[in-house]
Amino acid sequence: METFDAVIIGSGAGGAPIAYKLAEAGKSVLVLEKGPLLRTQQDSPNGLSDFKRDELYGSGPEKIHTISGVANTGAAFYTSHIEPDLNDEPHLYSHNLEETPVVTIEGYTAQVVGGGTQLYGAVSLRFAPDDFRLASVNAGRQLPEIDLNSPDISILDWPISYSELESFYAMAEKLVGINGSVQGQLKPFPSGNFYQTPLPPNPISTHAKAGMDALGMNPYRTPLAVITQDHAESGRKAGDPKTGFVNRYGDPMGFKSNTWVSLLRPAIRKWPGRITLRCNCVVTHLSSNGSRVTTVHYRSPDGSRREVSGKIVVVACSAIESVRLLMLSAEEDRPGFGAKIRYEENDSLLGRYFLTHCFGGAEVAIKGKRYDKSISLDSDWATDFCARPEFIQQEKLWAGGAIYNNTSDQALPISLARTHRSTDLDTLWLGFAGDTGLYGDRINGWLDADFGTRLSVSFMANQIPWFQNHIRLSNVRDKWNRKSAHIVKDWHPHDGHVMRTLARYCEEILLKGVPGTTPDDIEEGSVYGNGVRIANHILGGARFGTNRNNSVLDKQCRVWDFDNLYVTDGSFMPTSGGANPTLTIQANAFRVGQHLATQVL
Amino acid sequence: MEIIELGSQHLFDLCTKYLARDDDSPRHSYFGAIPAGHGRFSEGWRFPVIEPHCDGDDATRASRNDVTFIYMAPPDAGDGFSVSIRGTFDALYVRTPLKRVEDSRYFALTVVLPAGCCYRYRFILGDTEILDPINPQITVEDNGTEWSSFFTFATFEPITFERWERIILDRLTRHILPFNTQEAREFLEREVGTPRPNHPYLHRFDISVGVVNFLDKLLAREERHQLPAYKTCLAIINRILRQRNPYLEPRDMPRDMFKLLYDEMASGNVPGWDYNLYSGPSFFLQMLRRHAWTGAFCHPKYGGNAGATGWRYLAERYKDADGNTLFDWARSIEPPLGRSTEYRG
Ligand SMILES: Cc1cc2nc3c(=O)[nH]c(=O)nc-3n(C[C@H](O)[C@H](O)[C@H](O)COP(=O)(O)OP(=O)(O)OC[C@H]3O[C@@H](n4cnc5c(N)ncnc54)[C@H](O)[C@@H]3O)c2cc1C
Repeated sequence: METFDAVIIGSGAGGAPIAYKLAEAGKSVLVLEKGPLLRTQQDSPNGLSDFKRDELYGSGPEKIHTISGVANTGAAFYTSHIEPDLNDEPHLYSHNLEETPVVTIEGYTAQVVGGGTQLYGAVSLRFAPDDFRLASVNAGRQLPEIDLNSPDISILDWPISYSELESFYAMAEKLVGINGSVQGQLKPFPSGNFYQTPLPPNPISTHAKAGMDALGMNPYRTPLAVITQDHAESGRKAGDPKTGFVNRYGDPMGFKSNTWVSLLRPAIRKWPGRITLRCNCVVTHLSSNGSRVTTVHYRSPDGSRREVSGKIVVVACSAIESVRLLMLSAEEDRPGFGAKIRYEENDSLLGRYFLTHCFGGAEVAIKGKRYDKSISLDSDWATDFCARPEFIQQEKLWAGGAIYNNTSDQALPISLARTHRSTDLDTLWLGFAGDTGLYGDRINGWLDADFGTRLSVSFMANQIPWFQNHIRLSNVRDKWNRKSAHIVKDWHPHDGHVMRTLARYCEEILLKGVPGTTPDDIEEGSVYGNGVRIANHILGGARFGTNRNNSVLDKQCRVWDFDNLYVTDGSFMPTSGGANPTLTIQANAFRVGQHLATQVL
Repeated sequence: MEIIELGSQHLFDLCTKYLARDDDSPRHSYFGAIPAGHGRFSEGWRFPVIEPHCDGDDATRASRNDVTFIYMAPPDAGDGFSVSIRGTFDALYVRTPLKRVEDSRYFALTVVLPAGCCYRYRFILGDTEILDPINPQITVEDNGTEWSSFFTFATFEPITFERWERIILDRLTRHILPFNTQEAREFLEREVGTPRPNHPYLHRFDISVGVVNFLDKLLAREERHQLPAYKTCLAIINRILRQRNPYLEPRDMPRDMFKLLYDEMASGNVPGWDYNLYSGPSFFLQMLRRHAWTGAFCHPKYGGNAGATGWRYLAERYKDADGNTLFDWARSIEPPLGRSTEYRG
């Protein structure tokens, strides 16, 4: 059988940094990626990218759920060209095991070389030092709406501290290509500041900054994985990235620092012959002999069965799909692989403590002023005010979070309508379509009020790790006749407390920053208690820890009872951090990659 | 006819997500709206794949397309397997073979064709001619002969709707969209009336911003599964309008009639509606709202937003005190439609 030093499954945030580090160290690496390789203009022989500045690419046309036995059979859904067709590859979701599940698009990142980093908003914050030690921080505390000693809650300190990860944050910032500012951040930068210089903010963001300033929040320019200057590390030339086609769009120019243009492509060019990238190849399961994974089973682009082996195997399919892949492998061989990963054992943690983020915010339509929001990136200003230990103590929260303003949302006419009154990706268009009072000149009134005037401020905060929130296999089959993932997840009441608190501060920012605004003008809220379920941040389910009783992975993200199996996408996180997760996934993958290159291979 | 090679990597990128599978059940037939055979594949309407063509000369991008035909051979097809194609893109008697993509089950042929046109074709396996098993678009000739069919970018020739249907759609979508005010109408007169030789997608059409043409194409391709709903509802609406006013053609009926109809449909209660034929007039109206908006503001290659008129309307409506637009869409869009100096479309 064909053998590589490492087989890496998934080319996104958790996979690409490892490929990069191993190639740099001279190892042979196979990256198996389920999705296609969509080219930037530079990659393409005729100079045209496979990504487009085209609003219909952001959501795709209507499709209809045809899977039976779920609560939304017959309903419409919208997925972009690089998200899966949910009739072929459904994710099921329910709040609990009693409820009939729905098929959902939430919980998928993107299935393409680069994974979720192709579509993401590129907000690239570090986690705060206390995010890594929330068990210690909360020892002995009494907090509202939660008993921290309850057996179904498991807050772990990470097996690594902020300072152990710090140099890898710096490595990620340098190699990926991120712009931002350090001043104002709560996080120390001892390894240096590798940010590129941010571009001038969109004028609408001045209001967010003014509000943050007025509240003494010490804002800084939101770190964004978008190059603003030539980036020698990845061989990219800077240009004009401010287009409004940002969040949910792939970038035809490659200015957005997705893991293809920032890591894989440069590594393939710098170290020819070391990385083999096979796209359109879905891995169906792994098989093992004793404590070694021996074979990676995958399908070629036309669906034919293929096998390959690696001295080590790294699973980085994004949390839900990685957990599913491990569970499917366990079902293929319960006494072997299944026992090693402790699948369906009583105390098994595989799939448990699935996490996303507490998130929400406040939004206002600014009166009497209008801005061209189409000249923007995803965010301009951020603050760590709500991540300060004093704040967390004072507000009786178990953990804090980051706040930043969104600039590019609803910048373009179709996205304005498609997200009008919708609460999540499963309800796109419903608001506009159903708001039948909006027509003719009344639409002009609506545009006058909302187009180029809407300013939103969001928070992103830790979610309580709760045993009942988990990923399991359902009996609904995908197009390969494999069982699909079923996500069972609800918000803990203390999550509600966190979200209400942070939403209030977001509202304060708008009240202080937008002259003449009253509380009545502001829509404030969070995902707590409304439709939003999983969203874009998919974490946990294979947490790392200090011993095999409290975790699935060891400190180096190796599955405890396997010698050569590693999991490095968002699933390794035992707590979800007080910020968008991708930079941390990348930094950790660089750390694991370095360990593998120097200690293992 | 110009044949080009896209390379196997790109061909796989076009195929795998939609075609590769073990399960052959009609997961994508949308409860019979797409025939079961075609419903085995995800988004079969993507085939043949139509992409912008570029040979280095900017202006050609809008005027020609790369059209890639894909045939997926059975799993047991041996080395001797072959498939060819004939169609209206070449002399009809010419058979052009598709080439196997590496050692996969995919066979492909890419040809460069003018944009703005409709085409018919069939695959040939041995002595048998067959329709494309993936692409659900089928054209039936007057003599009953069936062809697989497709159209390239910015096609204006009607495909899906009859003239009377297009008129009703025009009246209803005008009522929905914000272009009916005096101010907007003056703008459109100016815009659509101004010849713009450099604007590839502008077409002097009887419809304000091309929304009906967008619908005509959307219902042929991407949202073909909603075609039965459109056909049924338009027939019901036509009958109701004519019952309400037997003396006027829908084209000439007063705006108030469409306003009343719109309001009734929104409420779900339309006197004279045949609920046995289609139970949800409000559902249809909501879909039409989504489609109308998309057609008014999509990229013009989809046949709507003709000449970027929808975008221009917003750009003109929203300006700062110095008269600079507050929706400078053109700066990020490819020339000759927009004026990005980097992005090529
Ligand atoms: C619209 C959107 C906006 C976002 N914005 C932000 C943001 O601003 N900031 C931020 O930090 N995060 C953001 N995110 C989240 C971010 O995309 C994810 O956190 C990140 O990509 C997760 O990394 P990962 O390695 O876990 O998975 P991914 O990066 O998604 O990588 C997983 C890869 O594995 C592949 N794969 C899956 N299954 C298989 C299989 N069986 N065989 C082979 N390959 C497989 C997938 O195709 C994919 O390429 C956003 C996400 C979305 C969808």
